[in-house]
Amino acid sequence: MELLAASTGSYPRIGNRPEQQRHRQAYAQLERGEISNEEFERVQNGVTREVIEEQVRAGLDVVTDGQVGWYDPISHFARKLEGCEIDGLLRFFDTNSYFRQPIVTGEIRRREPILEGEFIFAKGVSPKPVKPVVTGPYTLAKLSINRRGVGLAELVHEFARVIAQEVSELAKAGAELIQIDEPAILKNRNEFGLLKNALEEVAAGKGKAKLALYTYFGDATPLYDKLVKLPVDVVGFDFTYSPGLPKLIARLGCEKGLGLGLIDGRNTKLEGEREVIEVLKLIAPTIGSERVYLNPSCGLGEYLPREVAFKKLQNMVAIAKKAGELI
Amino acid sequence: MREKLKKLGLKLPLLPTTTVGSFPKPPHLLEARRKSAAGQLDAGELHRLEEQTTREWVALQEEVGLDVLVDGEMYRGDMATYFAKNLEGFKISGLVRSYGNRYYRKPIIVGEVRWRGPITVEWWKFTQGLAKKPVKGVVTGPYTMMDWSFNEYYPSRREACLALAKALHEEVKALAKAGVKIIQIDEPAISARPEELPEFAIGAMRTVTRGVDAYFISHICYGAFEFIYPGMLELPVENFDLEMSNSELDLIELFREHLFSKDLSFGVVDVHSHIVEDAATVRQRIQRALEVLKPEQLWIDPDCGLKTRTREETVNKLKAMVGAVREVRGSLKS
Repeated sequence: MELLAASTGSYPRIGNRPEQQRHRQAYAQLERGEISNEEFERVQNGVTREVIEEQVRAGLDVVTDGQVGWYDPISHFARKLEGCEIDGLLRFFDTNSYFRQPIVTGEIRRREPILEGEFIFAKGVSPKPVKPVVTGPYTLAKLSINRRGVGLAELVHEFARVIAQEVSELAKAGAELIQIDEPAILKNRNEFGLLKNALEEVAAGKGKAKLALYTYFGDATPLYDKLVKLPVDVVGFDFTYSPGLPKLIARLGCEKGLGLGLIDGRNTKLEGEREVIEVLKLIAPTIGSERVYLNPSCGLGEYLPREVAFKKLQNMVAIAKKAGELI
Repeated sequence: MREKLKKLGLKLPLLPTTTVGSFPKPPHLLEARRKSAAGQLDAGELHRLEEQTTREWVALQEEVGLDVLVDGEMYRGDMATYFAKNLEGFKISGLVRSYGNRYYRKPIIVGEVRWRGPITVEWWKFTQGLAKKPVKGVVTGPYTMMDWSFNEYYPSRREACLALAKALHEEVKALAKAGVKIIQIDEPAISARPEELPEFAIGAMRTVTRGVDAYFISHICYGAFEFIYPGMLELPVENFDLEMSNSELDLIELFREHLFSKDLSFGVVDVHSHIVEDAATVRQRIQRALEVLKPEQLWIDPDCGLKTRTREETVNKLKAMVGAVREVRGSLKS
C-alpha cells in the first residue's frame, strides 16, 4: 500500500508577510474600480502559483490550485449557471466562513466551462499532479434556495448534469484524480438515494480519471458502508467528527482508495505523529486498495492562517513518510 | 419574569426597548484604533477618545428614549478576540478568511483559561455613571468563545467550553458585585452543533450564571433555531434575544407549535440593511409577536449589534423602533 500526502482543497490566499497581502490589496482595488479584471486576474494567478509552490515545498504528492479564485464552494459554480441567482451570505455548515446562497429560479444550465481554465493554468505551473476539486451536485442543490416549484431530486439531477460536464472536461484536460465534495450528505442521511443517483450520472463522464468523493464537517460512520459502495475510486473522510471511524474501517475493511482526513484542517494544533500512526496501523491491514491518501480533514483556505497551514502540511508529510516506513 | 426584574429593583415599562450591544465607531476612532495597533498612539489617548464617544452614545440613547442602555462597545473589536485578549491562556492567530475579502484574527487557546481580573466592569461603571436608565453588562458566552477559538490546549470542545464558563463566571460575578442588574451573555454560535447544546452548552451557561443575582439575557443570531428549539429553553437565562426581522419572522410559527416560556427580546429592525424601517413595519412585527407572546414577556430591540451601520442609520432605526413601541404600548393600555 502506497501512502501519499495530499491537499484537500482550498489554501489560504493571504499571509502575515507584506508580500503575501497582494491578493487582499488587489481585491480591494478591484472593488474600488482602481484596477481592471485582467489586472486582478494577473495577481490571482500569481498567488495561485505561489500557493502551489508552497504545497510542493511542504512535500505534498498531490496538490490543488488552492481555490484562490473562488468566492466560496457554492457560488463559484452557481454564478456561472443559467437558472441561478446569487443571494445573501449564509454560514457554511458549522464554520465561521460564509457563502453566497444561490436561488434557483429556472432550469439549471451551464453557460461555459467553470473549472477547466483554472485547472489548465494550475497544471501548467505545478511540478506535482494537480487534483481539481468540484463541489458535488447534492451539496449544491441542498444549499440552494429552491424557487422552481420542482422537487429537490430534479434540482440534484440538473446540477449533476452540469458537474458531469465539468468532470468530463477536467478528465480530458489531463486530470488523473478529480475530487467531488459532498459534505451536505452527512447531516441528511435519508437523502442518500439522491447522492447515489447524482454520482452515477457524474461518474459516467469521468473517462480515464479517477473520482474521489470527499465528505467533511460531520460524522461519516453511519454512512460508511453505503459511501464505499458508490461508483467512485476513492472516499475521503473527516476523522475529526468521526471518532468511531477507524475501528469501523478496521472491522469492515475497504476495497476502495481512502482519503484519510486525520489532520484537523480547522485547528492550529499540530497533530502528534503517534496518534496518527496508531490509526494508520489499525486500518492499513484491512485496506484492499493500492493507494491511500493522508490529507487534512477539509480545505485550509478559510480555516487556518497561512503560516499554520504550511506547518500543518509539513507536519503531515513528515508523518506520512514515517508511516510509510512502518506500514 | 417581571417578578425577577421587580425583585432587582428595576422598574421597566411594558415592551422595554434596548439594543444588542455595539454601536458604530466614528471614523476618527477607527483611525485612532488603527494607529494604536501600529504603536503610533498611546493607550491613554485612545482611551480618552473611547470615553468621549461612549458619552455621545449614552446621550443619543437617552435622547431616542431607550429603556435599557449599553456602553456601545467603543473599546471592543471582535467580540471573541476582545475577551480572549483579556483572559489568561490565549494567543491571537494570524489572518483567517471569513468571506469575500474579509479576514479576521482568531483567538488560540494555548494554556489554562483563567480570569485575570475585571474586564468590562470599569466600562460599565463609567457608562452607568453617565446614565439615568439602567445599563446592561454584555459578555461573550463560553460556547461562542470556544467555537470561535482554535484550541491547542484542552482535549475536547467540551473541556474548553467549561473552562471558559468558569472564567466568565468570575466576570459576571464582578459585574453583579459592581451593581449590574441586567447581564447579557452573547451566544451567537450556540446553534453551531445542535447536539452539543444538551451535552455541555447548557451546563456551561449554568456555570456562568449560577448564584449570580441578575436578570440574564442571552443574545443569539444567525441561528438555525429549528434545530435547537425548544431545547434551548433549558438555558438558564430569563430572556432570549433573537434576530427576527432578518429571518422573515418564521420563528413565530415555531413558537405557535411550542410555547415560548421565557421573556423575549424581539429583533425588529434589520442591522444588515441600510434601509430604515418605517414605524408601521416595526409595529406590524411587534403585533405579530404579540400573537404568540404576552406583552409582559416581550422586549424590543434591533436584530443584532449596530456597529456596521452609520450613525445616522442607527439613530433613525432606533427612533422608528421606539416610536412604534410607544404606539403599541398605547393600544395595549386602551
